[in-house]
Amino acid sequence: MFNYVLQLLIDTSFSWVRMFIALALSILLGLGIGIWAATSRRAEKVIIPIVDILQTLPILAFFPFVIYIIVAAIPGYIGINAAVIFLIITSMLWNIIFGVYESIKELPHEFIELTAMYGMGLKEKLSKIYIPASMPKVMGQSTLSWAIGLFYLVTSEIFSTSSKTYMVKHGIGVALTQLALSGNFREYIVGILIFIVFVILTRLLFFAPLEKYFNKHNMSNIQETRAIHFVHLIKSRLKLKIPKINIPINFALGKKRDTYSLSNEVSIKPKRRGYANLIYAALAILFVAAIVSNKTLFSYELSILVALLASFARVWFAFVIILLISVPLSVYLIFFSKRLSAYVLLFQIIASIPATIMLPLIVSLFIKMPFHSEAVAFSVYLLSGIWYVIFSMLSQKAYIPQSIYEVKKLFGIKGLQAWKKIYLYAIIPGLITGAVTGIAAEWNASIVAEYFTSSGIENGAVLTSVSIGIGKLLDLSLDNGNMVLMLLALLNFTIMIIIINRLIWKRLFNRIEDIYK
Amino acid sequence: MDLLDVENIGYSIGPVHVIENITFTAMKNEFVSIIGPSGCGKSTLLRIIAGLIKPLRGEVLYNGMRVDKPNRDISFVFQDFALLPWLTNIENVKLGLSLFDISEEEKERKAKLLFKKMGLDGFEKAYPNMLSGGMKQRVGLARAIISDPKVLLMDEPFSSLDELTAEALRSDVINMLRSPDIPVSLVIMVTHNVEEAVELSNKVVILSERPSHVKEIKRIELKYPRNKRSKGFVREVDHIYKVLTE
Repeated sequence: MFNYVLQLLIDTSFSWVRMFIALALSILLGLGIGIWAATSRRAEKVIIPIVDILQTLPILAFFPFVIYIIVAAIPGYIGINAAVIFLIITSMLWNIIFGVYESIKELPHEFIELTAMYGMGLKEKLSKIYIPASMPKVMGQSTLSWAIGLFYLVTSEIFSTSSKTYMVKHGIGVALTQLALSGNFREYIVGILIFIVFVILTRLLFFAPLEKYFNKHNMSNIQETRAIHFVHLIKSRLKLKIPKINIPINFALGKKRDTYSLSNEVSIKPKRRGYANLIYAALAILFVAAIVSNKTLFSYELSILVALLASFARVWFAFVIILLISVPLSVYLIFFSKRLSAYVLLFQIIASIPATIMLPLIVSLFIKMPFHSEAVAFSVYLLSGIWYVIFSMLSQKAYIPQSIYEVKKLFGIKGLQAWKKIYLYAIIPGLITGAVTGIAAEWNASIVAEYFTSSGIENGAVLTSVSIGIGKLLDLSLDNGNMVLMLLALLNFTIMIIIINRLIWKRLFNRIEDIYK
Repeated sequence: MDLLDVENIGYSIGPVHVIENITFTAMKNEFVSIIGPSGCGKSTLLRIIAGLIKPLRGEVLYNGMRVDKPNRDISFVFQDFALLPWLTNIENVKLGLSLFDISEEEKERKAKLLFKKMGLDGFEKAYPNMLSGGMKQRVGLARAIISDPKVLLMDEPFSSLDELTAEALRSDVINMLRSPDIPVSLVIMVTHNVEEAVELSNKVVILSERPSHVKEIKRIELKYPRNKRSKGFVREVDHIYKVLTE
């Protein structure tokens, strides 16, 4: 009877090995690329924009394509495992690169001067400055990276189409989906429990000690600087005479004001904008010309655009609901609850359960409803995006100095005024970051949310399928082997994401940057 | 004999001329303060002297040899201490011996000795974050002098400290420089604090606003230890203020 438990343990272990391999490779690559970008102006100009775009792309949407390519090159189980690990790496790598890059860029200029003063060679610079500086941030987001990685892991382990199933031999994603689809709900629940236990153990035995090790010197000064700026912001908004808050002058504060820094002296605006826009315009014209001239391409393009529109509506609708849930929740937890860290821990564990694993459950929940596919899609989108938004907003708490709570109490600020003048400002940076990452996560989930089938498991039954959507389109194009459609769809998808980035998120960030700097 | 020759230094960042033309000399047993309004490039100048930055025009000569990269004889103390937060205090100090080919044990021995001398006993294995500002700057100083430098450059070393700590550290620095086993024979300190400059130095280089040049080089011949309330002291301070603001 407990045979299946052993089997589940083995499956989960296989999955965990994939995760650790992916994590190790991600950290190595992330350190290398991040350090390179942070220390070389030329590398920076190329690497950062590319990673910026890659970070917001729904990489999972590329998975049909990736799987096709890798498995063609490396057939069999090795190929599939390589594809899964590759995909997990893409989920972790960009965050790590940015973490490393930011950590080094934030280093006081004097540290770099130290390397010159004391003639440090590359090895010394890496071991004494760049790596120790980066590791705290790298480990800091490891929990989230792990959760994201798990989502990719589970989804990619059992990516299948109605004609072919690309499947790893042993994996928790495979096991759970098989169990659910064959109706073994008791075993399915046990599997989920085992999954959760593995997540908790990994946190306790692996991440927590590592995080402690790399933070033992405890750089708390950096938080104080942001706190100071936040206070200034609140001061100006409240237009009150707040007694001077006496924060001891320290390392970070000194840096912002009087410390020598070449770039503080003068700011030079780069003037290369003109060329980029010309190139984009030229490419756009070429693209349109190619589409219009070919009948098939034209019809593909039309269906792609309609599909994108449908999915866009779903993604943003789910996002609005996410906001409605997470904003009040976050404000409550930050300003009114004393047990924030307990909740964060709980959320982290729940968030580690990828929506993909829950898919069979969700489907059975809604099966009797009209429009049940839309309900399923909505649920998956919501579950995929909500954690990013919540965690992002909750992490803002670190930047809110104690004095804000005291000011609120002292001056009896509550209700609508509190919302307008304190709460929203407190969480807005987190909200925006969360929105960017959350919506990206939703797009990622589109290939699972909108269409899911499993040939090798049941009898090719389609679990869920919306009428029109980009996720469905991508899945079907893999199904039919229609590479042209798939590539065209991916191209459109990518362009849409980039445009939204430029038009919405970049602008928002620029506006709040001045306030929150 | 001139130990340090700063000749016609010019420096710009992009289109902005920060330093137009700065020239002065410094000899053994001098304590030179460089003072000037903000943005006049005094910190940049100090880094040019340290060999961290190459000037656009002019040159710095140490003992007649051009300085174009960091030199073992010339040490630097930073305004914000610049201690690596993930290294213990003693490891930070040992960093000062990086350019020297001596064994780990020897470095450890020298560092421990210095800790005792500078009143940092017991803080060897602690991390910088556990220290107050004054202690951190002592560690920064220790790192600078462990290599037995002949020239000590200090970039506003006391301005990140509260006044009491700064006062205490100033007198400790003077005492330290007086002691015979410290080979430092020339100190160049950048500061924006006129009283501090008059209290410590026997030569004050007064810079203009950006693009900066030397407005005046004032010798201060008062006897040490200097009394801040003496007429001579006040006169010097007033003079410097006058030059700065005219």
